[in-house]
Amino acid sequence: MEFLTPLIGLYAAAAAVPLLLLLYFLKLKRQEMLVSSTLLWKRAVQDLQVNAPFQKLRRNLLLLLQLLALATILLALAGPVLSLQRGPGRRYVLLIDRSASMNATDVKPTRLEAAKKEAKVLIESMRSGSSLSWRDQSDHAMVIAFDERASVVCSFTSDKRQLMARIDAIEPTDGVSRLAEAVTVARAFAQSSGGETNGGSGQKPAQLVLFSDGRIADLDGIVVGAEELVFHRVGQTGDNVGVTAMSARRSYERPEEVEVFASIENFGTEPVTRDVQLSINGNVQAVRSITVPACERESGDKPFRPGQTTLNWSLSHGQGGVLEVRQLGGDALSCDDAAWSVLDPPKKLSVLLVTQGNPVLESALRACPVATLDPCTPAGFDTLDPAAFAARQQYDVVVLDNHVPAQLPPCRYLIFGPPPGKIDVNSPRELENQLIVDWRAQHPVLQYVNMTNLFAARSHCLELPRDAEVLAEFNESPAVALLHRRGGTFVLVNFDILQSNWPFEPGFVLFCYNALSYLGAQAGGQRQHERAVGEPITVENATADEAFTVTCPGGGKVDVKADPGGTVRFPGTNRVGVYAVEAADQPRQSFAVNLLEPQESRIEPQEKIELAGVAVSAQGQGVQRANVPLWPLLTLAALLFVCIEWLAYNLKMRI
Amino acid sequence: MARLDSLDLLSRKILQGKLQGERRSKRRGHSVEFADHRPYVVGDDLRFVDWNVYGRLEQLFLKLFLEEQDLTVHLLVDVSASMGVGEPAKGLFAKRLAAALGYVSLANNNRLTISLFSDGIRTQLPNMRGRNYLSQMAEALLGTECDGLSDFDKACRDMSAGRIGSGVTIAISDFFFKQGYENALRRLIGARYDLYVVQVLSPQEISPELAGDLRLLDIEDADAAEITVSSALIKYYKRNLAAYCEELKNFCTNRGAVYVQANSADSIETLVLNYLRRIQLLR
Repeated sequence: MEFLTPLIGLYAAAAAVPLLLLLYFLKLKRQEMLVSSTLLWKRAVQDLQVNAPFQKLRRNLLLLLQLLALATILLALAGPVLSLQRGPGRRYVLLIDRSASMNATDVKPTRLEAAKKEAKVLIESMRSGSSLSWRDQSDHAMVIAFDERASVVCSFTSDKRQLMARIDAIEPTDGVSRLAEAVTVARAFAQSSGGETNGGSGQKPAQLVLFSDGRIADLDGIVVGAEELVFHRVGQTGDNVGVTAMSARRSYERPEEVEVFASIENFGTEPVTRDVQLSINGNVQAVRSITVPACERESGDKPFRPGQTTLNWSLSHGQGGVLEVRQLGGDALSCDDAAWSVLDPPKKLSVLLVTQGNPVLESALRACPVATLDPCTPAGFDTLDPAAFAARQQYDVVVLDNHVPAQLPPCRYLIFGPPPGKIDVNSPRELENQLIVDWRAQHPVLQYVNMTNLFAARSHCLELPRDAEVLAEFNESPAVALLHRRGGTFVLVNFDILQSNWPFEPGFVLFCYNALSYLGAQAGGQRQHERAVGEPITVENATADEAFTVTCPGGGKVDVKADPGGTVRFPGTNRVGVYAVEAADQPRQSFAVNLLEPQESRIEPQEKIELAGVAVSAQGQGVQRANVPLWPLLTLAALLFVCIEWLAYNLKMRI
Repeated sequence: MARLDSLDLLSRKILQGKLQGERRSKRRGHSVEFADHRPYVVGDDLRFVDWNVYGRLEQLFLKLFLEEQDLTVHLLVDVSASMGVGEPAKGLFAKRLAAALGYVSLANNNRLTISLFSDGIRTQLPNMRGRNYLSQMAEALLGTECDGLSDFDKACRDMSAGRIGSGVTIAISDFFFKQGYENALRRLIGARYDLYVVQVLSPQEISPELAGDLRLLDIEDADAAEITVSSALIKYYKRNLAAYCEELKNFCTNRGAVYVQANSADSIETLVLNYLRRIQLLR
């Protein structure tokens, strides 16, 4: 038998026992009564004392019973447990899955809460190192919560209160569950065997206890011993309908038009009919009723296949906004019932052309769908304040024609002629009579561009850094290259077009069109406003230390500051929904965080998990206690003693 | 009272009295009825020498006569504080019993001495004879409150010192004397006196109805006994009481005295008319 809280019991005993004895030895307030003689009474009392067997005991029977009752209560307070486990203390690593599927409500309130509850039962049943025991047999445990990443909630300790509190503090996320990192972390901690653990407990390897529904993405890559891992399955049903894919894009030719695509999957065994609603900024645009067929269960070689229905909407929307596709029938898992996409307003490019005068280039650029094309002399460009230029973001693309500028404000550049400095590109010499030998026709910049006959009389030899992409090559040097530097994107063309036959090729106009489109997309025409769960939200081009406020889907607000490089980073995208990033003088930016993971939407709990080579079955009945708490029995005994005491008192009083 | 008139005290022994009374006395004396002769020993009254026998036999013989004498009745009544306890009070019962017996004695021309004692003899009405003393006796009995310590031994010492002649002694008390009753009773038991011991107990003493934690105070010496009433305690009390009474009875019986136990709740009439007759104190 061991005590969970021996000190509490001791303190209570120190206070209560002397008090009871004191009360007992206090003079009884007796009623006085006159009698003719106390002679016989005294004799009777003497006789009673002399004749009754175990007289001392009997006289103090009430005290004895009271002491017994008190003792049992005190014992109960000390939290005695009957250990069903022998031997040295064990070490447990509790791996608690907090991924999206653990938010399913088929187990009330959620699977995660159920897992936490089971974990706490395990913690409670751990043997604690009591100061009264002569050798330390206490169990230690650490807690790791994992979704895509593992985080150590509590490192090895035998302090149950701390463990419980930390388990309670585990927050659900909408991420994908991956176990490998958690197992690696657990092993690292178990081997390092923290200072709190003792030599005795180091003999056995730590027991991994997994609380999950078994929907883990990377089980194949994990190697554990069959004895090492215990799997406690959480969850009951697999019925769930979720949005597993969604995208929205504008047609390039007709920017007003928005194409929305969504895929709804049914993971239940019955076909379901659901209303799917499309809304922009909360205004419902369309509701469509669909029937999603039932899933096909795996049988033999056939893998599991959810029932799938795809949806397409085409609508006209001239402004920006947040698109939401939501299936309206509720089910166990709510985080996959909707998906969001952030739609930017249709935008035509603003282009700044820095040239001494190049009608060919200018007319080619004018042929592209640009909003504005501002010509500018090289001297005029050099006088611009780069900071103000970057802040205004007036131009999406700057075209440099045969000009090496003194400074490069961060922007997207299409550069003809010599490369500018400060972008790690050197041009040691000039080349003559170069012919294109190869080009990447698949790259968006060179799509549909035929460069077969391109000849340049003079060109600049390019020495590119490693991360530059070469899109076309002359026989001696790269001809067209793509480079990301200093927060900008550079498309370098190493020759003056007027020194080549390119203006006479139809491919030149196509190249201009492609390059502008590509750079325009880089500028934010299709800026990445969608994130997977857990992927950080970043906003570039902020001033250092500028304060941003991120509004989370739940309504909570988080203040973030830009780093010295002008980047705002918000990593806390643990839940699905729309996050809004705001600053004092900047427009609000929305980011959609979507689950879109069939792996997590399939919430049917696994009977057994197949690790690399080892299958671990779920434990049949919940967490088995390593000990039996004795306090209810003791409390019952105390009640019994009190009853007996009452009876004894009444018997004694009866005449 | 009319019924008491018909009663008379009876001494089982033939006792001698001072006056030549109505009953036979064992004492050989001056009466006319010759009883016996006995040889003269030095110191005998020469008046009783039978000179005729001397003349015939030349030896000195004394003439012995049977003498008829009156009966002396001593009532020794306990009026200590302990007798005031009980419902009805033992003291009242004792006094009424004494009054009844006294009345019988006076009515039958017996010599009556009533001694009321607590810590020694408090009041004594000595040598009353005849109905004239009735009022005096009643006054004395009813006018005495139950009060004070009890010292039976001293009372008996005093009484037996003043007791002359022979007769009947009736001691009425609860006989709860802490110093014991044996020595005192031994003083009262003598060849010339019949001793009747009447122990008066109240119903509360015979079967106490108590409950709870009590502190019993002795009404006389304020001695305290702390008890927690339980069935066992009551059982032991009753057993003790019975043993105590039995002891007293045996003490009396062994010494030729008669023991009577009375409950203060009983009627005096029954006691006097039936019970005392049956034990031949009265006829």
